[in-house]
Amino acid sequence: MRWPKPSTVRWGLLVALLVFWEVMPSTKIIPELFLPSLSKTLTVLWIDRVEYAEALVVTLYEVGVAMVIACGAGILTGAVVGGIATLRNIMLPVFSSLYAVPIVILYPIFTAWFGIGSESKIAFAGIYGFFPVMLSTAAGIRTIDPQYLLAARSMGATLVQQITRVIIPASIPTVLTGLRLGGALTIIGVVVSEMLTASAGIGYLVSRYRTILDSPHVFAAILMILVLSIMFDLLARTVERHTLVWQTAGRRERGAPTAQASTLPAPAPV
Amino acid sequence: MSAIAVDRLSHVYAGAEGGVPALEDITIGVEAGKFVVIVGPSGCGKTSLLMMLAGLRHQTEGTILCAGKPISEPDPERVGVVFQEASLFPWLTALDNVEFPLALRGAPRDDRRRRAEEMLSLVGLDGFGGRYPHELSGGMKQRVSIARGLVQDPPVLLMDEPFAALDEQTRMTMGHELLRIWSTTRKTVVFITHSLTEAVYLADEVLVMSARPGRIIDRIEVTLPRPRTYEMMATDTFGQLRERIWQQIRKAP
Amino acid sequence: MSQAQIVAFRLALLAAVAAAWQLLPSSGIVDARLLPPLGDVLAMLGQLLGRSQVHEAIVVTASEVVLAFVIAVPLGAAIGVLAAENEYFGEIFKPMLFYVFSVPKSIFLPMFILIFGIGFQQKVAYAAFSTVFIVIMSATAAVESVKADHVLVARSCGATRTQILLRIYVPSMMPVLLETLRISMIFNFTGVMIAEMYASRTGIGHLIANWGENFQMPQLFAGVILLATVAILFNEVVRHLEARFSTWRT
Repeated sequence: MRWPKPSTVRWGLLVALLVFWEVMPSTKIIPELFLPSLSKTLTVLWIDRVEYAEALVVTLYEVGVAMVIACGAGILTGAVVGGIATLRNIMLPVFSSLYAVPIVILYPIFTAWFGIGSESKIAFAGIYGFFPVMLSTAAGIRTIDPQYLLAARSMGATLVQQITRVIIPASIPTVLTGLRLGGALTIIGVVVSEMLTASAGIGYLVSRYRTILDSPHVFAAILMILVLSIMFDLLARTVERHTLVWQTAGRRERGAPTAQASTLPAPAPV
Repeated sequence: MSAIAVDRLSHVYAGAEGGVPALEDITIGVEAGKFVVIVGPSGCGKTSLLMMLAGLRHQTEGTILCAGKPISEPDPERVGVVFQEASLFPWLTALDNVEFPLALRGAPRDDRRRRAEEMLSLVGLDGFGGRYPHELSGGMKQRVSIARGLVQDPPVLLMDEPFAALDEQTRMTMGHELLRIWSTTRKTVVFITHSLTEAVYLADEVLVMSARPGRIIDRIEVTLPRPRTYEMMATDTFGQLRERIWQQIRKAP
Repeated sequence: MSQAQIVAFRLALLAAVAAAWQLLPSSGIVDARLLPPLGDVLAMLGQLLGRSQVHEAIVVTASEVVLAFVIAVPLGAAIGVLAAENEYFGEIFKPMLFYVFSVPKSIFLPMFILIFGIGFQQKVAYAAFSTVFIVIMSATAAVESVKADHVLVARSCGATRTQILLRIYVPSMMPVLLETLRISMIFNFTGVMIAEMYASRTGIGHLIANWGENFQMPQLFAGVILLATVAILFNEVVRHLEARFSTWRT
């Protein structure tokens, strides 16, 4: 017997998962409290669409502000730390030590400081997303092949030209990867903090309906977050692919940051 | 007046106990339009010397004159440089890479495009301008590098082991191509290599350097007629010249 | 810059942070109710470590961490090795794993609560769930880091399968394995913390969330310092081992 193509199997598994989600609860094999059926979840989502849409607006606002903070501060700090050798030697190991600390334990401090409104979510998610952006920007700048700079200097590039025409384009791939990771983490950060303590947002809906054991509403919110995070990932990957036409054939260029995978931190937990 | 005149150049790397002497008392004169090859053992400071000729590194002592004026910083209008592999910017197309030095000085777009296309055509890459470096073979990439080095029409072209990463056959072809380009442009070329065959095949004059601290220990005039052909490699003269360089390098302390 | 100078700079940085933390609140520049002086926090930490309620919480948290780790690592390693060694299985699952990876695991926490309630099992199950994916990814990477050349050389010398496993795979993977354990532990610890903070009646995470809600800032900061110290210490010890095992790595 010939095995079916892996991609066929993958689609098959996805369909099987959706069928499983529909059939198991409606035949009562799995109690509806644990897993309400797909159709019921979608129905609930449709009926209460206004409530969910309002929650989505709050969440997206928090995610947007937090992303701007995380990316802006991350790129700036990363560029400084990555560009200055002394600073890098002092600070990078410190940052990777700090990486071991579960950042979520800081969240109660933020709610005490900023209250349970959007500010505490933005502060927490901003810090959450900041680290991967900062670390990958630093790595991106550090792994630039010195030959590129030498060549540019030999052609008479000024310092500003070296930065705008060599350092920035050469570090774009790693920075973009960092933005994708950082963006995903700000989404996670906002949702987690909304789940923990909040009065609005999709994460808040998850927790509120969970406490009254209304599973269909919980799963409707979970589904929305899933779609949100997968859509962000697809969007970010598309942007990466289109920006990096010159890298499409893989990383065979000696100067391209092949060390990327090992220098980047693993995506943060949660 | 020579195209390049190096006068009693010495260089010491900063370090413990007064530093490490890298280059010692180097005096070279290269006439305009000549093809000079520098050979020497690994670590003898050939590349350092070339970096100084390009104004990318500063010597501790001595002077370098190019067309009568001292070199102290990169001046792409006087000196073009071709590096080993990987110095093409992977985020630019071949054409944009060649245009790069012109873009740095803000040349008008149309002019630099036309000029870069001329250069690509000179190095035999008509129609490849839109490709990115990763879409080009090793030999093609070095052709683009040469085009980039020549785009500002500098009288002097410095080449740092440009063909070292290529396979033997491509290397031979590229050497031959370089001579063709050189004969149409009549640049002064200073070329660094490890390959003795390449040195004899390309050069008007071969300079042999000693191990560290690098000094010029021999100058060998290559009397083979031009244009050079592959058949010349089988001649006695070629073999004798090659042997003489090898003897010099071998006995170099 | 020498290593000693770098260490001195870091210590100076730490001292500066500590001094600021002490002086800013105690001099009234920063509200001491929001940021209690470091001295008060450390005194509180000393007190807390003497309380039996805190001892119990530490025992609960520690056993959750250990149990979840013991479940997640072998399970993830088995799947990861399978994905790396079996081409067909790998081609099916590797792209899916990347998607699963980009999805926040924490949104499934309510599901665990609905199924397991808010006790010990739920926290262990959720922590194991949030850890298993990173173990799978790292295990795949670890197996793939073994150089095909080395295996080829060993086979040409007539090595048996067991010999190849013990003499090529194990030493090649050693540094990566330690790194995997370290990163998995970070994920695992975070998983337990979130589960405890989200819905729980015991554990350090629960205490921290509680102190935060009741605005008990000295206790809250003491708890954060305690957890951060434990996490950093564990991380540094394993990193030190990694460095010792990977001296031959280029």
